[in-house]
Amino acid sequence: MTDLDFRQGGPPPANGPGTTNLADILERVLDKGIVIAGDIKIDLLDIELLTIRLRLFVASVDTAKKAGIDWWETDPALSSRASRNALEDENRRLRERLQALEPATDEDRDPGPDRSARRTDSKETGQR
Amino acid sequence: MTHRAHRDQAPDTGVTYVFAVCRGTRATRTADVTGLVGMPGGAAVRLLPSGPLTAVVQTVPAADFTDEVWQSRLSDPREIERYARAHHEVVSAAAAHGPAVPLPLATLYHDDDRARRALDDEAHRFHRVLKRIAHHAEWGVKVYEPATAPEVAEPVTVGGGGLEAPAAGAGLAYLNRRRGVQERREQRRERALSVAESVDAELREVAAASRRLRTHGAVPGGDGRVHVLNATYLVAEHRSEELGVLVRGLGERTGAMIELTGPWVPYSFVGEV
Repeated sequence: MTDLDFRQGGPPPANGPGTTNLADILERVLDKGIVIAGDIKIDLLDIELLTIRLRLFVASVDTAKKAGIDWWETDPALSSRASRNALEDENRRLRERLQALEPATDEDRDPGPDRSARRTDSKETGQR
Repeated sequence: MTHRAHRDQAPDTGVTYVFAVCRGTRATRTADVTGLVGMPGGAAVRLLPSGPLTAVVQTVPAADFTDEVWQSRLSDPREIERYARAHHEVVSAAAAHGPAVPLPLATLYHDDDRARRALDDEAHRFHRVLKRIAHHAEWGVKVYEPATAPEVAEPVTVGGGGLEAPAAGAGLAYLNRRRGVQERREQRRERALSVAESVDAELREVAAASRRLRTHGAVPGGDGRVHVLNATYLVAEHRSEELGVLVRGLGERTGAMIELTGPWVPYSFVGEV
């Protein structure tokens, strides 16, 4: 059994740490492990989206800055603030669709609290 | 770095982060994980035996590992990199002397007992996966379409004098030229995709299992390469050399740019058992 083989999955000794492509690491460490429920529910968002956006981010942040592009500030996968906005937008759109489908039921109903579902998981510890 | 005795961790200040699960303590030695930094702000990385299994764990401050904190962490690429690399480093070290099943980033339990219980509950799955990945490693293979050659500059011919109307048929010629460029581009892409398919088919022959990952596409501001295959293979240790030879041969034969990464701890082959 060669220890070397497994060990090199990490930063290859010849190149030193930090040289393994971050994108390669991310697509492996984020959601490819065995599925086992933890006590503390961490919502890592859309993994595929996150890795793709990060990859673009890492590669192109300078280029993008020069071009005046700042999509990551409003991108749900990269900004928690934007993520909230996106959820609110989505909720609003869903409510609009619902009202369009059921126009007779309630014309001017108050939307009420939204996005409660994600945070009320019973497994979540709730430490602040 | 704070070293906290395992016994006195107060449940409201420390939680147990699990990196990987290995066979008994003989397969993974304390020496393999001592000195590893692990998660930023955590105590020493240590082994947590549980029956015939051993988890590689770390006590981390509960307040730093809530969903909320992770959400803000995920909006900072440098932070993600830091935590992902830290996780990867520990997982790789855990697999130094035997198979290790990596758990996904941010797998957390309230305390050691809870982690142990989770291991016990899933023990048969862990054993099955450990058996499957023993003496195997994961290898990533990426195939790129070569960088687009610069298109031949179109000669601008609008007649002799500046104000004259273009010669008859100039518009049609232009359209034909554009169509030709488009067709060539599509042909190149189709060729690259078929190379990708045959590379994958040949590599599957030496692999115990394979998975296709999402391709990365073209990187804006990158070198213009287009990623056409992102696959990963579970390969027995005694065939890893064969894999390397095959990849080199495929590169020469097809002219495609093929990138081989690994060996990795078999992250991509522990989830579906």
